[in-house]
Amino acid sequence: MRPDDLSRRSFVRACALALAGIAAGVRSLRGERAPATAAAAGDDIPEAVRKVLRARFGDRPPREGHVQLDVPEVAPDSREVPVFIETDLPMEPARWVKAIHLVVDHNPDIYLAGFTLSPALGAASIDTRIKMRRSSQVRAIVETSTGELWMASKLVYTTLNGCV
Amino acid sequence: MTPAIGDPRILLPGTITRGAVIHVRALISHPMLTGLSRDAQGRAIPAHFIDSVTVEYGGEQVARFEWTSGISRDPYVAFPLRATREAPLSITWKDNTGSTFRQTVDVRFTA
Repeated sequence: MRPDDLSRRSFVRACALALAGIAAGVRSLRGERAPATAAAAGDDIPEAVRKVLRARFGDRPPREGHVQLDVPEVAPDSREVPVFIETDLPMEPARWVKAIHLVVDHNPDIYLAGFTLSPALGAASIDTRIKMRRSSQVRAIVETSTGELWMASKLVYTTLNGCV
Repeated sequence: MTPAIGDPRILLPGTITRGAVIHVRALISHPMLTGLSRDAQGRAIPAHFIDSVTVEYGGEQVARFEWTSGISRDPYVAFPLRATREAPLSITWKDNTGSTFRQTVDVRFTA
């Protein structure tokens, strides 16, 4: 790695952290800090996103757990953000992972993609690249053949819009 | 510049043993236009993106992906597959204008 790569990377990181700081400041000024007792999976889901989840899953609320979502904390190129989703849930004919859903809170299409799987795959994971309009929560929802929903969410900062 | 479309590719690992879960990688050239952007003259550029991908192994559908234009340009996707038998693996990409692209590779055991 060249030294100028490093300085660019630290610049990009600094920008993102500054943005995060501003966002956090604004939130606390408006007194919107989430109560500590809120259910983990239900934290800070915007109404537009709740609507998308309700349309697809009805009243079944996704729970936290069993899903590993790998996304960068800071995405230098918001047109190509790598996403890797994996789960430890069984992938057998009796009980399998029926689908993996990908949701991005602040994208024009909140429901970004759905991956329908079958026991023939032998495991449940998806690796792809997505576009992000701006910094946002990225959510991976795993749906089992028995109707369970498991979710993992991560905040991804995009730097292209804020700093360039 | 007209972006290239097509050239579907499927990459399998170099070593495949019977019953192993292998990593399948699939790539295709496609602009994945959202329909929200405009050209230099200010005219809207129509949406043009792959909205469905089906995966067949030995003639049986094993996975199906439903996409929006939120998937990046030149879409890449990788997923697992249990190599239970020597059989063709086919992937079909379909876009919102009705174009389809298909690629087939043979799953062969190396040991």
